[in-house]
Amino acid sequence: MTGFEEIYLQYSPQVFRVCMGYINDYEQARDLTQETFIAVWQNLSSFKNQSKISTWIFRIATNNCLKAIEKVKRIPTIELPVNLPELTEGTGQQQQQLTLLYNCIAELEETERIIISLVLEDLPQAEIAAIVGLSDVNTRVKIHRIKEKLSTKFKQHGQFE
Amino acid sequence: MDNLNDLKKIWLTAKTDCLPNTDEMVRTMKTYRNRKLLKKAVLTTIAVLLVAFLVVTAVYYTSTMVTTRVGEACMLVAAIILLSSNLNSLKRAYKLKNCTNKEFVEHLQSGQRGRIRFYKKTQFIAFVFISIGLLLYLYEMVYPNLVAGVIIYSVTIIWLLINWLVVRPKAFKRQTRKFNESMEKIEKLSKQF
Repeated sequence: MTGFEEIYLQYSPQVFRVCMGYINDYEQARDLTQETFIAVWQNLSSFKNQSKISTWIFRIATNNCLKAIEKVKRIPTIELPVNLPELTEGTGQQQQQLTLLYNCIAELEETERIIISLVLEDLPQAEIAAIVGLSDVNTRVKIHRIKEKLSTKFKQHGQFE
Repeated sequence: MDNLNDLKKIWLTAKTDCLPNTDEMVRTMKTYRNRKLLKKAVLTTIAVLLVAFLVVTAVYYTSTMVTTRVGEACMLVAAIILLSSNLNSLKRAYKLKNCTNKEFVEHLQSGQRGRIRFYKKTQFIAFVFISIGLLLYLYEMVYPNLVAGVIIYSVTIIWLLINWLVVRPKAFKRQTRKFNESMEKIEKLSKQF
């Protein structure tokens, strides 16, 4: 297995979930994931380990998401996505919870969506700061605020009471 | 937040089997690279051939009037302005490989400003050179025949006027609206950092 194949197997599910968190659209998240790995493949030989490879990949993925702002109108959050059954293989309740999570994230600002998606992927705060380009302190404050916002939204929808 | 772990559990239930497997991905990328390389090669070749054609004509066509030479020079300047501006934007796109979201948004902002400058200034200057160049270049060809001269100059001037007064303002208006919309979104993004 080549270096790229290993990277693709390891990171593509994570990148897809981050893109999905940002864009809240299944097809577009898949396209953004593919675009990310095309860029990874094209630049892998020139990657000089100035940062961790995961930082580099998530930078490409999230920058691709930010670039999509020029093309995409924000997905309405009130409506449930039509392709609900495709989101998860879990139970009906899990599907509803995942849709609610995506919809709550979609109500956040763009950078907040990126930060919370990376938090949910369990990336360390220092790495999130290196991806977004904020100081460690600023990132910590932002993460705290976003968690509070998300928690309030979830409670409003009758979850986690 | 106490519920973060619950959210992580929900987050991880997302289905990811819609993604292509590694073989499909490698195949897609190879086709993508070939297609992209081909497109780039074709566009560069056309641009280089056009400039070469202009230069070769200027060298081999024995003109007796200075207007022809000045006309050729003007059109060559316009071609060089447009080509260098396109090469610069290509260079900018390739320069950005490993940057943070903040740097990327700054890059988007400066790119957008560059595009607005291109439409407002660079394209305008190039078009002035093309118009003047064309009018001067045609003079040697048509001056022995007054009727042909009037007809050819009328058609050329009408074509230039249509471009200056209809096509360009219309395209400019459309582009400006698009640029302003994008710029607004990017400004909003930039304020989040």
